[in-house]
Amino acid sequence: MATPPLEFRQSAPLTLGVELELQLVNTRDCDLTRAASDLLALTEKKPHAGEIKPEITESMIEVSTGIHHRHADLLAELQQIRATLVAAADRLNVRVAGGGAHPFQHWSDRRIFDRPRFQHVSQIYGYLAKQFTVFGQHIHVGCADGDDALYLLHAMSRYLPHLIALSASSPYYQGVDTAFDSSRLNAVFAFPLAGRAPFALRWSEFNAYFERMSASGIVESMKDFYWDVRPKPEFGTIEVRVCDTPLTVERAAALAAYVQVLCRWLLVERPDRVCEENYLAYTYNRFQACRFGLEGEIVDPLTASRASIAEDLAATLQAVAVHARELGCEAPLSEIGRIAREGNDARWMREAFADGGSLADLVWQQSERFRTAG
Amino acid sequence: MSDLFFLPDWPPDLGALPWYALLLLAAAIAGEVLARWLRLPRLFGWIAAGIVLGPQISGLIDAKTLAGMRGVLDVALGVVLFQLGQRVDLGWLRRNPWLLATSIAEAALAFVAMFIVLLAIEMKPLLAALAAAIGIATGPAVALSLTRELRAQGQVTERMLLLTSLNCVYAFLAVNILLAWLHQEYSEHVLSMVAHPLYLIFGSLALAFVLTAATLALLALLGRRPEAQFIAVLALVVTAVYVATALKLSLVLVMLGFGVMARALDTRRRFAAYGFGRFGQILLILLFAITAATLDLDLLPSGALAGATLLAARYVGKATGVLALAPASGLSMRKASLLALTLMPMSGVALILVHDTTALFPGLGATLATIVVSAIVMLEVLGSAATYFALVQAGEAEEARKR
Repeated sequence: MATPPLEFRQSAPLTLGVELELQLVNTRDCDLTRAASDLLALTEKKPHAGEIKPEITESMIEVSTGIHHRHADLLAELQQIRATLVAAADRLNVRVAGGGAHPFQHWSDRRIFDRPRFQHVSQIYGYLAKQFTVFGQHIHVGCADGDDALYLLHAMSRYLPHLIALSASSPYYQGVDTAFDSSRLNAVFAFPLAGRAPFALRWSEFNAYFERMSASGIVESMKDFYWDVRPKPEFGTIEVRVCDTPLTVERAAALAAYVQVLCRWLLVERPDRVCEENYLAYTYNRFQACRFGLEGEIVDPLTASRASIAEDLAATLQAVAVHARELGCEAPLSEIGRIAREGNDARWMREAFADGGSLADLVWQQSERFRTAG
Repeated sequence: MSDLFFLPDWPPDLGALPWYALLLLAAAIAGEVLARWLRLPRLFGWIAAGIVLGPQISGLIDAKTLAGMRGVLDVALGVVLFQLGQRVDLGWLRRNPWLLATSIAEAALAFVAMFIVLLAIEMKPLLAALAAAIGIATGPAVALSLTRELRAQGQVTERMLLLTSLNCVYAFLAVNILLAWLHQEYSEHVLSMVAHPLYLIFGSLALAFVLTAATLALLALLGRRPEAQFIAVLALVVTAVYVATALKLSLVLVMLGFGVMARALDTRRRFAAYGFGRFGQILLILLFAITAATLDLDLLPSGALAGATLLAARYVGKATGVLALAPASGLSMRKASLLALTLMPMSGVALILVHDTTALFPGLGATLATIVVSAIVMLEVLGSAATYFALVQAGEAEEARKR
């Protein structure tokens, strides 16, 4: 059966949409708990901002915003969603927390949400599906057409380590300090179709690739690709998927603003040569960002230059300053600069653990931070 | 000295120890058989083993031996109540006041319903009121055991545990208010009428507080090593049971209060291990088996009607309370009706309350026991089955239980 070619829906350039996967934990020992369907039953009753949806396990929930031009509106919507969630969770004695992975949950305890697609994924991937109880932030950026989307997708790859390091919030996994700032991405890499999109700058080329993949039966839809950045033709966006869910919605909005500014800069100034060679250092840089966070190293394969991610980030922030002003994103970008200097959520979590002494206490502090951060 | 002095006496005198071993072994095997081949919760096996080995059926374990097991039974129930208390989050009642309203409504409606129907079958008002007060209690051991075994999580489970602990407290308070009134009827001592319930309530809470302070201080000292915590907490829980008994305080209130306070005052989350692990499992097995062995099946013919009436009214009252306030408290009607089912069991706490009443007023106790024990006998399997059914239907049991 021939699959119809993917049509890239046009959308307003540089518009933003954010999805956050959040943890639902109990108030007793702060382990992940089965609460998604009960929580959804409550939130569905009243109209609320954004969308609140189930995810693959009962201890996860996904929230998504509408489409926004400006960071301020995105932030306001995320804050409203948070208020809805926290109020509903309070009635059910459940806590909502950010963070890329639950610090001490055991994957064998997870229950798969009762929906055909989730049960199907669970059957195919076995323990990987349950181990995939990790929590990410996905950022959608609107693109005028498929060619723009592919250009942005590949031009963006050079800067993904920034986003990984800035958002990293999964240092603890299965009860131990993994030494990684983002252990979550290691769980994602285990999937056969994880990694990077093939190099193609024309939408027609990409379509040819997709047709071969679907004709050979490897994939059925774009959903089967777990790439770091993937085009989402039905939305007319590219979707950046490398970020851990930050501990606060404020930081989630700031990360989205940084992506928006980067995209404008990349589209308008076309600062880098975009070619397959960019990917020579891709997995190395990504590993550095996951493992060492902002202290990791970033290598530019074209110039053979190397710098720390924090330094590279600071330089990039300078380069994009004009575009931040154009988009009204000065405040979130100065927040990004502050994170680069003072440390990411993974660092905060390690300090909180050292202070409180137990992973349960750490999760409690994460959930406090999620509900109160202003 | 006999030439064969090195051979053991027959029958050997080893105290109660072999009986515990026998009871544990039989109950554990019966539990495993049920779990493996019928995929039913183990507690049905534990109950069956207790009934079969007890004085009612085989008589292998006689009444005297059973009476000697009372201490262990108290420890087992104490551990259950402590764990239940630890699962109760008083903050939840503040964040969702409709839950408190639900709990008061279901307890009050159940009491009124039971009282009215018992009057209707021409029972003396005082007796009817006492039976109705005891009937408020729901079964902590069944709730905890099934939550553990099914690894149940979700709103039905959480609310069952919360309502069960509150019900135990309400039943205790209601019975003691009635007893205070009885003191006034039957004795001249006005002082004992007021002082006894006050001593029970405040004495129990004070003891719970002292124990909590001691536990938290000990945990701060021991750090977060789960093994060390387990031993320390277990020792304190056993101490609590014995001190409560020695001071003639309420076991129910002391242990529940201890659990609740140990959680509420543990602001640094020092408790590393909540479950009592394998040891907790052994205590649960003994609790179910000994309780089942103790149940006097002979009361059934005379008490069956009154017992069944009591149960029907109790269920109607509790279900009405839970369903009426379900929307306000944020629970779907489907889950609320399942929650009402989980409030069916009644056992250990009710038996203690009967026991306490009998100790104070022996004449009254016998009639009371006929009704309440009959009800408990009928519920022993039925109540646990209802809870099991409800947790599985609510989709809150682990995956393997789903079809």
